[in-house]
Amino acid sequence: MDDVLVTGLGALSPLGAGTDAFWRGMHKADTGPTRVPDPLAHMDRPLMYLVPEADVPDGPEEQDGLPLGRGSRFALAAAREAVADAGLAPSAGPGERPEAGPYATGGGLDPRRVAVALSTGMGDTDLHEGWWTGRAPASGRWAPAFPLASVVGGWFGAQGVNTCVSNACAASGYALSVGADLIRSGEADVVIAGGAEAYSRVALACFNRLGAIDPERCRPFAVERQGTVFGEGAAVLVLESASHARARGARTVYGRLAGAGWSCDAYHATAPEPSGEQIERAMREALREAGAEAGSGTGSESGSGSGSESGSGTEAGSGAGSGSGGLGFVIPHGTGTELNDVVESRLLDALTPRTPLYSVKALIGHTGGAAGAFAALAACLVLHHKTLPPNVPVGEQDPECAVPLPSGSAPMTGAYGLVNAYAFGGNNISLVFGEAAA
Amino acid sequence: MSSDPAVGLVVTGIGTVGADGFDFRTALGRHGYKYLPAASQYFLAAAKRALAQAGPDALEAVGPEQRGAAVGTNSAAVALHHAMDRTVTATGAADLSPVTAPYFSINLFGSRLATEHDLKGFNLTFTSPRVAGLEALQNGQRALATGRARRLLAGATEEALPEGEPGAGTSEAGAVALVLEPEPAARSRGVAALGRVGVRSFFLPPKAAASAEGAERAAALLRDALDALGHRPDRPLAVTAVLDGSPVGEAMAAALDEKALGGRALAGEPERVPAGAGALEPVARVAAALGAPAGHAHAVVTAAAEGNAAVCLVTPGGADAVPGGPEAASSEPAGTKRAPESAGSEQPMSGRRRASDR
Repeated sequence: MDDVLVTGLGALSPLGAGTDAFWRGMHKADTGPTRVPDPLAHMDRPLMYLVPEADVPDGPEEQDGLPLGRGSRFALAAAREAVADAGLAPSAGPGERPEAGPYATGGGLDPRRVAVALSTGMGDTDLHEGWWTGRAPASGRWAPAFPLASVVGGWFGAQGVNTCVSNACAASGYALSVGADLIRSGEADVVIAGGAEAYSRVALACFNRLGAIDPERCRPFAVERQGTVFGEGAAVLVLESASHARARGARTVYGRLAGAGWSCDAYHATAPEPSGEQIERAMREALREAGAEAGSGTGSESGSGSGSESGSGTEAGSGAGSGSGGLGFVIPHGTGTELNDVVESRLLDALTPRTPLYSVKALIGHTGGAAGAFAALAACLVLHHKTLPPNVPVGEQDPECAVPLPSGSAPMTGAYGLVNAYAFGGNNISLVFGEAAA
Repeated sequence: MSSDPAVGLVVTGIGTVGADGFDFRTALGRHGYKYLPAASQYFLAAAKRALAQAGPDALEAVGPEQRGAAVGTNSAAVALHHAMDRTVTATGAADLSPVTAPYFSINLFGSRLATEHDLKGFNLTFTSPRVAGLEALQNGQRALATGRARRLLAGATEEALPEGEPGAGTSEAGAVALVLEPEPAARSRGVAALGRVGVRSFFLPPKAAASAEGAERAAALLRDALDALGHRPDRPLAVTAVLDGSPVGEAMAAALDEKALGGRALAGEPERVPAGAGALEPVARVAAALGAPAGHAHAVVTAAAEGNAAVCLVTPGGADAVPGGPEAASSEPAGTKRAPESAGSEQPMSGRRRASDR
């Protein structure tokens, strides 16, 4: 079966615009939430990790007559970067000259073989919230709340499958997995895949009502965690069949999507099933499919361990993922909510003992429908640079969350990274990314 | 993941629910459903009807981890979000109902289904404009083909848009659910296959649709899709097209003739159905087409102004009704059970409620 490679990356995040800014931010490990600039956000904890104002795309306001919200604009920005990074270029529209790009101008990219699989939890709901509070819609045209994949497909001229997955906080993990399935089933050669999420007053208010917002910051696995803190942004990966990438001479391969495992708790609307049976099944399936056996090949002594101060955790060079060929790191779902972190920690301790974790959410908050894509983006960067960045300090670690959270950067020699994404409704997905060369 | 992927899926249950006259107490039961948003109630009720038709062992024949669900929706949450936002901006988040607060998340509208029927394989939600319901069928079936489950509940659910919302005049409200299982499994249970549904989705960029070559491009994509679905050009094809008046919709409509489709034989003039502001009507039309005489191929085509498009090839009847299909059963097995007509009636969504009527 053809490998599914990652040949392009794009990001717009609270760390700024671009994948380089994201990677730098991962090493700087110094972020925090701010108050949302919305005078109508009548809630106790109106906090989020926001995309810096200077990096918020100032358009487009509409595309082909469809008014665009913040989510669509975020998705477009990240997709533009990922596509350019992959050395691809949008298809020429009728009467248009192809954009500069060796592949588009050289021919060979069949737009019918390019798919888009993006995810979002709230889509362009911010646009509708504006209409509900006095801003008039520009037209009476129906404006579906989840047009993100359509907008990216329209911009690129992709004619293959174009799907928006909305499995809440696991959605972009599923979008990536669906994208990989499209390649493996022969339905696409290239898939623009990932997720985007933007501030929505309704979403933040509901999480406030559920008592699930931490008053300080997103503190996964910390003893004093009190919930999560949302983040916003978009992360997009270009997935490509290995044969297609080879044929066109793709310049960079960040990694390969080597395995995926799906499951559903079928237990509760918002709470994880306490035994973690189904999240374990998803992890095992992803690791099995990738051939990265759980608990093997890491041999790292990098764990900060139960109850340790995050600031005194493992320092650089302690050999994260030192067992070459095995699982080198885990990017957990870890939201900072009470039960999720305990259940996931317990299973990781059993399934991938001593494998170091890197928490993306401690860095940029919980980006909801984009969270899995940001975790995947981070995993690809770690594999590509062979370095595991330091975790953002979150205070004393919960003894019930005995997972290694290195506070210093470390060389990454393991061949695989595991990504977890879970969601309301008990939706679980695990992905395994592996090293790959161009 | 199963090492023996489910292939040759057939529909064995259809459930449709319209909003008009819907009462959750009679459709679902008096207790436990009162505070669910309407679109969640509709989908649960549609699934209940579909499972009643498919028979009590439709799901239970396999373990919970071999059961998956997929739902498509565009507008299930908009009215609820609107009401929530009014509360937040007027008096604050503390006045939101804690029972409905989780439903800010669109996937919650399909998640109760998993809890009720112990669906642990997967529970997917798709939201692509207008095609999300057909995508639920497409992606759900692909997931079964890759071994992620062996039974599938899939469909669409919608709730009317709030008054004043763009598109509210063409709101959809109701749900359709289908039960799919491998044909041999249905046969061994002694249940009739109602038919097969194969979906291919694609994208017609609005700029391309609006160009002079729009219809030509749409026709090329439709031909590709029908080829991929295994439709033989010489088999007469009935067509129902759920389209709007956008450049994408008009390009697709113009592509629906025998010449543009490369000489495919059409069974009469394509039926054009005005598209609503949601993903429900195309799935309702698929459910209706499954009621046609066995073997009569029917394509349900839909597209959105945003460019999303899909075609579902519906072949009513069992494997014997599918030219070139699996060798499977040559006749309906003895003891085949058929649910009462009422179990899967009311399609298409002719009785849908429009927001302007509320």
